[in-house]
Formats: sequence, C-alpha cells, structure tokens
Amino acid sequence: MIAATLTRTEADPRRLLKALASQEVLLAIAVVGLAIAVGFYNPRFLATRNLSDVLLGNAYIAVAAVGMSMVIISGNIDISVGSLIGVLATLSGTLAVDGAPIIITWLVPLVVGVLVMAAQGAVIAYLRIPAIVVTLGMLSILKGGLISATGGKWITDLPDGFHLADIELFGTVPMPVLLMIVATILAALWMRHSASGRTIYAVGGNAEAARLCGISQPRTTVMVFALHGFFAGVAALLYATQLRVIQSTVPPNLELTIITASVVGGVSILGGVGTVIGSSLAAILIAEIASALVFTDVSPYWIRAVQGSLILITVIADILRRRRMAGA
Amino acid sequence: MSEIPLPQTVKRVAPWWLLRHETMLAAILFVALVILGVLNNRFLTLDNLLNQGRLTTEVGLIALPMTFIIITGGIDLSVGSIVGLCAIMLGYSWKIFGFPLPLAICFSLVVGAAAGFLNGLVITKVKVPPLIMTIATLALYRGLAEGISQAHSVRGYPEWFYFVGQSDLFGVPAQLWLLLIAIVVAGIALDRTTFGRTLYAIGNNETAARFSGLPVDRVKLIIYTLSGLMAGLSAFVLVSRVTTTRSDMGSGYELDVIAAVVLGGTSIFGGLGTIWGTIVGLAMIQLLKNGLALTGVKGDATIVVIGAVLILSTLVAGSLQRRRDGV
Amino acid sequence: MANDHPLPESTEPLLLSVRDIEKSFPGVNALSGVSFNVAKGEVHALLGENGAGKSTLIKIVSGVFPPDRGEVIVDGKPVNLERPDDARRAGIATIYQELLLFPELTVAENIFMGHAPRTGLGRLDWRAMREKTTDLLASLAIHDLHADRVVGSLSVGNRQRVEILRALSQDARILIMDEPTAALTEYDVTRLFDIVRKLKARGVAVIYISHRLDEIFAIADRVTVLRDGAHIATKRVADTTATELVQLMVGRKIESLFPKITVPIGEPVLELKDIERRPLTKRISLTVRAGEIVGLAGLVGSGRSELAHTIFGVTPAEGGEIKIRGLAVDIRSPARARALGIGYVPEDRGTQGLVRAMTVRENFSLAALGKVAFGGFIDRAAERKLAGDGVKRFAVKASSLEQVAGKLSGGNQQKIVLGKWLANQPKLLILDEPTRGIDVGAKAEIHRLMGELAAQGLAILMISSELPEVLGMSDRVLVMREGHIVAEFLREDATQEAVGAAMMGNHEGVEKVA
Repeated sequence: MIAATLTRTEADPRRLLKALASQEVLLAIAVVGLAIAVGFYNPRFLATRNLSDVLLGNAYIAVAAVGMSMVIISGNIDISVGSLIGVLATLSGTLAVDGAPIIITWLVPLVVGVLVMAAQGAVIAYLRIPAIVVTLGMLSILKGGLISATGGKWITDLPDGFHLADIELFGTVPMPVLLMIVATILAALWMRHSASGRTIYAVGGNAEAARLCGISQPRTTVMVFALHGFFAGVAALLYATQLRVIQSTVPPNLELTIITASVVGGVSILGGVGTVIGSSLAAILIAEIASALVFTDVSPYWIRAVQGSLILITVIADILRRRRMAGA
Repeated sequence: MSEIPLPQTVKRVAPWWLLRHETMLAAILFVALVILGVLNNRFLTLDNLLNQGRLTTEVGLIALPMTFIIITGGIDLSVGSIVGLCAIMLGYSWKIFGFPLPLAICFSLVVGAAAGFLNGLVITKVKVPPLIMTIATLALYRGLAEGISQAHSVRGYPEWFYFVGQSDLFGVPAQLWLLLIAIVVAGIALDRTTFGRTLYAIGNNETAARFSGLPVDRVKLIIYTLSGLMAGLSAFVLVSRVTTTRSDMGSGYELDVIAAVVLGGTSIFGGLGTIWGTIVGLAMIQLLKNGLALTGVKGDATIVVIGAVLILSTLVAGSLQRRRDGV
Repeated sequence: MANDHPLPESTEPLLLSVRDIEKSFPGVNALSGVSFNVAKGEVHALLGENGAGKSTLIKIVSGVFPPDRGEVIVDGKPVNLERPDDARRAGIATIYQELLLFPELTVAENIFMGHAPRTGLGRLDWRAMREKTTDLLASLAIHDLHADRVVGSLSVGNRQRVEILRALSQDARILIMDEPTAALTEYDVTRLFDIVRKLKARGVAVIYISHRLDEIFAIADRVTVLRDGAHIATKRVADTTATELVQLMVGRKIESLFPKITVPIGEPVLELKDIERRPLTKRISLTVRAGEIVGLAGLVGSGRSELAHTIFGVTPAEGGEIKIRGLAVDIRSPARARALGIGYVPEDRGTQGLVRAMTVRENFSLAALGKVAFGGFIDRAAERKLAGDGVKRFAVKASSLEQVAGKLSGGNQQKIVLGKWLANQPKLLILDEPTRGIDVGAKAEIHRLMGELAAQGLAILMISSELPEVLGMSDRVLVMREGHIVAEFLREDATQEAVGAAMMGNHEGVEKVA
C-alpha cells in the first residue's frame, strides 16, 4: 500500500521507455507521413527519381550528424564542421585532380578530419577554452583558408574512379545510403554496448559523477571530437563525390543543418541523452522538408526559417522537460 | 572554525590586471600602427584612417552591447542574422509595404529590438542558456530574412539615405560620429552607472547579485534587446553604405564582434571587461584587416587571421586569469 | 571535554582509523588534531553543526583532498588517499547530499558505470548488469525499483537507494553517508534504517553524518561530536543522552556576550500569517516588532533558512499573508523585499552575500546603489563615503576600500555583508547564522552592533544554531522543527535545556505555539 503510494509519484517505467523510443518512432512516422501528405498535393514528389535524389543527395548530412550527435551528447558543441567538410572535400578533389591514387584521395580526408577535430577537442579539454570560442575560431580559419587556397576556382576535371557516391554495392545499393546506414548502425551499437561508448553519456549527463566513476572527461572529449572528425571526413567524401564539380566555398550553414538534425533527432542540447538513429532519421526528415517546400510551391528560401524554428521549439521543450523533472 | 589572521596584501588585483591588459594592447596597437605606416606609405594618411573608421562602424556598434552581454557571462551569436533581418525589413517595408523611408528605418530598428527582446525573454524566463538560444535564433532570423526576401535585393534608395553610410560630417565619416556617440554612452553606462555595476555583479556572482536585490532578469532583458537594436542600427549603416539590401548581410559579424570584445580584455567567462578595451580590440582587428589588404593579402584570408586571434586571445586571457586567481 | 575513545563492546577489528588529522584552508583552520575510528559492522555517527569540520573530515577520508597532517589507516594499514579512486580501492564509498547520478540513464547503468560487467568480446553485458542489479535490490529487500527505470524519474528516496547500491556493487566495506535523511520522507527514513541494519549485519562499517539526534539514537552504536574543527568527544550511544549531546555540540564557554540592553519595543514590523511554501515552510505565523530581536532556533533542516528565503522573496510564498508595518504585501523577488525595507544577511556569505571578486567599496554599495547614485550615475565620492563610514562603523580590517573582498577574513566579510544592508536603512533585518565561522572578537562586535541596531528601532529576526547566542541576544525565542514553529519562549523563560528540548522534539517544558 505504501509502495503503491510511492510509485504513484514516479513515472511508469514502461511509459518512460516508450517515451524514449518514441522519438525515433515519431520521426519515422513523420518521414512517411510527410511524404504521403505532400504526395497528395503533388504526386510528382513521390516519383522514385525525386525520392532517391533526396535520399542520396543528403545522406552525407546524416553521416555528419552521427559525429555531431556524439559531440552534443558529451556536453559539447561544434560549429566548425561545415567548414571542415568543405575543406576536406576540396582536399580530396585536389588530390584526385593531381593524379593521386583514388584510395589515397578517399583516405586522406578521413585522417585530416580526425586530426583537426581531435586538436580542437584537446584545446577545449586541456586548455579549457570554451568550445564555442574554439570552434568559432576554427570555422573562420577553415573557411577563409579554403577560399584563399582555391582562389575561388571550382574543381572540375575529376577523374572517373573518384566518384565514391556513384558506386552501387552489388549493383543496387547506392554508396551514400549504404554508408549512412552502416555509420548509423555501427555508431549506435558502439554507443549502446561498449563501455567507452557509454562514457559519452556519462560525461554529458553528469561530468562530476563521471569523474568519480573514474571516467576522464578530457580524454572522452578528445575521443568524441576525433570520432566526429572521422564521420565528417566520410560525409565530406560523399559530398565531394556527388557532383561533377567541387565548389570552392563551404556549403553555407551546413553546420546548422547538422545540428538541427541532431537536436530534432532527440539529442538534448544539454547533453547526456539522445541516439544517432534519431539524428539520421531527422536528417532525412529535414532533407525531405526541403524538397517538400519545392513541390508544394513554397519557396525553398524558407528552409532555414523552418530549421531555426525546429531547433528553437525542440530546445525549449527539452529545457522545460528538464526543469519539470528536476522539480519532481 | 578558528581563524588565521591573513597578511594584508595591498593589491587591488582585478582592475590592476585589467588596466595592464588594455595598456599592453594599446601599446601593441601603437607599435603596429607605426610599423604598418613605415611599410606602406598609404597607410598613415588621414584619408585611410578615417576610411577604416568608417568600415569599423558596423561591427563596432554591435560590439558595444556584446561587451555588456559577455561581461554578464552570456553570449549572442544571432547578431549577424539580426543585421540581415533588419536590412531586409528596411528594404521591404519601404519597397513592398510602402512605408515612407524614415518610417521604414524606424521599423527595421524595432524589428531588431524585438529580435533581441525575444532572445532575452527566452533566456530569462525559460532559462535556455544564451549560447543555445542564440544559435537557434541565428538560424531562425537568417531564415526569416531569406524567406521574406526570397533572395531579392532592394535598391534605388533616395540620395539622402546614403548620407549616413557614405558622407562626411565636419570631415569625419558620418557613421563614425554615430559610433563615437555610442561609445561614449556605452562607456559611461558601463563604468559609472548602477546599470554597469549590475552587469559586473551578474558576471561575477549572479546569485549574490540577486540576493542583493539587483534586478538581474530585467538587466539581462535590456542587454539582449540592446544587442538586437544595435544590430538593426548597424544594418541601417550598412545598407546606407553599400546602397543595397541583401539577405546575407551581416553574415559572419558575430566572429568579428566577439573577437574584438575578447581581444579587448573582456573575459569570455564574465565579470571583466571595459568599453575602452573593446574599442582597442576593434581597432586592432580593423588594423589587421587593413594591413593585410595593403600588403596584398586577399580579403577572404583575413577571417583566418581573425579566427586565430580569437582563439589565441582567449587562451592568453584564460591563463593570465588563472594565474591571477592563484589556480 | 572528554577525549576518550571507548571501544565498542564487540571485539570487532577497527576497519578505519584516522589519527591527528589537521587541515586548513586560506584563512581558516578546518580541522585541528582530530582522531576518530570505526569498527567492522559498526554504525558510527558524526555529529556537529555546520562548519564543525564534518564535511572536511569526510572529504579527506573519501580522497577528495589529502590532510595537511595526520594519517588514515584502513584495516590496520596506513593508506595514502590522494584521489577519490584511491579511496574507492580501499573499500571506502561516500554518498553525498547532492546525489551524483546520471538522470537520463537507468538504475542498472548508474550502479555499474565505470565497472560494468562485460561479455567475452568486450561488449557490455546488459543481462549480467540487470541480473546483478536485481540481486543487489533483493539483498536489501528493495521491491519497488526495477533495473531498467530511468533514474531521473525516481523519487529522492529511491535515488539514494541507487547510490547505496552503487557503493555495494563496488564491495564497499566502509560506507559514509552525509546527511542522508535531509531530503527524505519518514517512510524513506525507515527504509534507510532497514538497509543500514542489513549492512551492519554484513560487517560493513557505516559513518553516519547527521544532526538529527533521534536518528542517531535509533541507529548508531557510537557517536563522535566535532565542534569548531576539533574533536570534542566520542561516546557510546547507549551511555549518553540527547541533552548531553546537544550540550557537547553547541555548548561553548559563554564569552562576555554584550549585555542585553532593554529597548522599548514598538509596533509590529513583520507579521506572518500561515505562510506556506513547499517543501519545508508549513503554516508559519510570527511577529517581529521594532526594537525587538527574535531568535529563531532549530536544528539544521528545520526550515529556518527556507522561511527567510520566502520572506525575502527568493522563493516566494505560496500561501498565507505577509504584512510589513501593517500593510499586506506580496514579495516575489529580493528587489521587492529590499524596496520594502527588508535586508537579508544570508547563511552562505561567499555565494549569496558577497561578490568576492569585487572590492570592499563595491560590495558595500551593492544593495544600496540607489543611495549613492543620482539619476543612475554612481557618485564615486558618495560611494567612497558610504563604504568608508561602513568600514569605520563596523571596524572592517581591510587595507583599503579598493581591496578585493574575497581576500578578507570571514569576520570582515560578514561585516561587509551586514554593512551592505544597513546602508539601505532597512526596517527589518534577517540574519542567518550571523556569526558562524567568525572569530570571537568579531562575534562580540557583531553582537554589539545588533544591540545598537535594535536600540535604533530596527526589527531583527536572527536565525542561529548557537544556543548561547540565541539565548543571549533574543527578546523572544521561536523554535522551528520540520517546517513548523513548535515553541515560543520569552527571554526570561528560555533556558538551554528547554529550547534544546523543543529543538529535538521531546515534549518537555512549556510549549507555546506562536
């Protein structure tokens, strides 16, 4: 009887589990639901060509969001990833045009991505400079560096074998989708089932408690940023190999889109909770929304306003939820 | 607990250090001016210096309330987007809604203030951390600018409109007067008023500030609204200078503004900073840009340097502060 | 002062022993020559007021920082505890008041974070984790917790049980609990005691920090009293009484407290009627008149500071009425309280009272900026005069007005906080532990000041855990316990025994509920 009184004040565990899982389910429903709704309005939206374009063209965002989710879950933030992807893409293309073996043009961006991000992680963790300052500075260094280095020229004569994104495994599965799924699943498994993966949640959830459990916050931070750099590298490869040209500028506001994907995907901006499955689904949803705007005759220029509203609403809801929980 | 009598140290540590940082910076500025003047005889001409002053205004106007915000331990990343939004609202309310131009200008200022007010409201009432709120509004406000303008630009303003952006008043660029007035007001407010004292208190110990009866939430609301308002004013100056309105205006301003403020000695952790320091920081950054341009470095490369300056000055300030606190 | 260490009745070996521990921080001697031990299967209570040195001692034993002098001996062997990890490996586990849990993770994961069971491939073995958690839960007869519950959704009682389980999962042999019942319901306290008894039976040594005497008598075998950083006494619980413990805990040589001046008592300044605020302010009614000093006594956790915060607008009242000088008011913020003429000298002067990085001058004017500013502009000369007058009047020992406040001694800092509020010429002053952590000389000065202020017509509400101070300074003494006012004494009726009894809850003596 007394036990029953007690449990009345605590959330039903099943309901809570459902709440946790439902972010992913909700997103999946939203993806399908939106497609159907827009399809009603404009059936051409549902044409295979369009759907596959949307998916293939934006899979790289989901890949980048895997790394970004890890960073945010661990309690940090990074706004330099968009510029980094631009730099790595150009790096890859330049190597290809200069005649390097294709495998090198694919590996170098990964290595450079890891090193650059790990360096930022180290500065944040060991020199104790706030993440926003470091990544804001790095964003500018990379962005300006890229434009200076390329002089505004686009890379055009890319060799044939370069286009990783065009490869279809077993003749049917396109590489972007494959990489997105593999990255998401591997990361999800690692973050769920390995001790080092769980340290991300520990450090992001309660850094002091994590320290008392023997988890080193600086080391976790560097690890998370290094992984983030790796996924940024993979994303850069997909981005670079999608088209026949590589632009000389970084894709505008790419980091915002990636952050939106993570946040809408259920990663709390305050850290400690979220999944990469959610962020990948959210990345697809965002890409779908962008396409839907076109097919419903809404100007595509509204996409950023939509992204901004999504972040704002999700963040406010998350903060309110936490305040309610803390007050309980 | 019984007490050990402390040795009485005379040092007034915080302001002492601060003065040193700014004097050091001013000294570096002076030296840099001399060097650049020697390297390039176009540099130290009055014409060039005044022109640099003209170019500094847009970032400078925003750097003033940003100093207030960072002193309280907050940050506002949405300023660049507010500039874009206000620029668009200026052009559109005039061209499309048909407002008389002076009204359109006021309207765009109101939009800026409202944007800042929304930031402040959510930060104080919902208690979303400033960093996160302003990242969200950075996207939202830019998005609104793009959506409303549909990437069209507005041109064809009347002659008098370009006065602020392009003409001189008593030999000094018009917008520079605006900046100078703003600097004086901001400097006095920070140093000599109860408002300024409240900012420092919030940055050093917000709880004690609240417990002393200071109107913490009201002050925060004011500074974020001011930030939006100044962004709007900056947008007006910008449009007046470049004669057109585009939705990507103000892009990247947050970097220049924050770098200037931090370089000028304001601690990113809050509690320290002066307007004078921000001015010196602004001057140094503009100097850097000008110097690089005059020695042939292309415009885009300058943000590389600014980014590096931001990280380095935070690093230096951080370690100096740790040594001061005896950590 | 008895300095004996009577050994427990059984011949159980000593699991933990600390000898002659000394520790000081800049300006403060936290611990001086403290010795203490605990045996296998013993529950040893550590008793003392806030600031007595309990938490410093515990932090040393938990490996948060090392002592300046002295040694820690575990199982007969001296150990060097330089990091929390060292303590953990020595079998010492600590449960702090602010529970260190991961709110978004499950019970099982919280328990095993950092030492989770793995499968052969290095993967986390969720099933083993869940099974072990279930076993742990069963071993302590906890039936309303499930391994998969998210900790953030749990009640405080359950969260604490998760922490205890975490300690057990790491084979802790010495468990330290810091004020474990501070936030628990009576039901949870009972369950906690059940768990502690089970741990005892297993041979775990429990160091139980608390100020709640009834709990100590219910669960502890021995009790050690600390005061002002020194070891006062260690007694077998069976051989002592609550009264004796209270005396040991708070009794001091009554220094020459400033003789109480009889002051004409005027009109009511503060009137509270049925003030309520969750969770610890329950239908409080009281009155403080001009020229009167009302002492608010009670044990830590009785809700006195919470009441002060409600009067001062930090946590506004949810029910009831407040009248200031006869007018009903609604106090929703400290700014409003200040405007109504209320000043509050908080308990935690470092975090709530002073801005440590600012100068003496700036701190003095912090609550009275309006008085030294004209049209918003601060008049530096007026400010200097205000601060200068304050420094003289309160005899603040600072090298200059521009000295950074954080570098001053505790007594001087407190004088600044007091002076800051007096600059505002308040009508009501609420003092929360005004002389805690302050040397004798400064204490006397502050008491003298209080007398003067009352003579000038100020109404003073003084919250204090030092009975001699309460008895010496107050015109009336109110006693709070668990959020209620349980007794009221006029000056002539207030004795240490009567007030102490009311604080602890024995229904002896005269009880007049205000």
